[in-house]
Amino acid sequence: MQTLSMIRLDLLLETIGGTVALLISHFAHGALKLTGESRLSDLSTGFLVLSAAMFGRVIGTIYFFVLRGGGTEGSETAQTLMAVVTIAYGVMKIMAYVLFAFSTRPAASSTRPQPTVLLALPALLDSRLEIVAVIILIVVVLQSILNYLAVRTKYALYVLVGFSLLLLGHLTLILSNNPARGYMMHQVFQFGGLLSLLVMLVRVGQVD
Amino acid sequence: MKRRRSYRSKVRILVDMMRAIQQEGDDGAGPTKILYAANLSHDRLTQYLEELIEKGLVCAVEEGGSSRVFLLTDRGREFLREFTKVEKFSEAFGIEI
Repeated sequence: MQTLSMIRLDLLLETIGGTVALLISHFAHGALKLTGESRLSDLSTGFLVLSAAMFGRVIGTIYFFVLRGGGTEGSETAQTLMAVVTIAYGVMKIMAYVLFAFSTRPAASSTRPQPTVLLALPALLDSRLEIVAVIILIVVVLQSILNYLAVRTKYALYVLVGFSLLLLGHLTLILSNNPARGYMMHQVFQFGGLLSLLVMLVRVGQVD
Repeated sequence: MKRRRSYRSKVRILVDMMRAIQQEGDDGAGPTKILYAANLSHDRLTQYLEELIEKGLVCAVEEGGSSRVFLLTDRGREFLREFTKVEKFSEAFGIEI
């Protein structure tokens, strides 16, 4: 019963988080249309992929429970489906983080790696998805720190807090002794991170 | 820690011109003021002013003799408001526009 309510909460946080990611993607796309700045395209795609990953996981999990209700045969299919959903979720999140790393990189950077190589990274290392996610998010957070130090605006601070909470979420998942508790903490941190980005978006919308 | 700015994008130049016009309020801004504020050559200024007028973001008003002043249209003011939001959003992620 406790597990079921934990899953319900997890799916709720994931749904709200996916909606926030979709909103940010939409705003970034509007900004891209206005300015033509290609890095906004990376940012918009990154949040779109993150949103798709989160919604995909919600739908996959619900379908898992539907299949499990269909007897032993359905239960086996459900296990396979859940395994696929879990890997796809991890891979898509890493792709989103890679796009965040590209879009937030310092403007003068001349050592840009080939996107295709980095996007293939999660597929090559699927057994260590969380570690890959942490490494990429460390890069994103470091770039956000540099950006905050350069511009020192509250908006840049919200972004820094947002990405830091996403990183903290992945770290809790890896370091926690209790997997269930670690997973819930991961969800809460991830939700907090996206909430911080939502606050930034709302504040930007109030600028006159 | 200061960020090194490379060259300005076209949209940034247009916005700099529009902000120069906005600063002058209802009196409008003459070409020289816009030229200095947006740091442009005379040829570029003429070309971009024509573009702003064509897009309906700025309008020109004759002010006796051959001199003209430029004013923001409602569409221009709305564009500047939207651009400021986009600017803050992009800056928050370290994206220069």
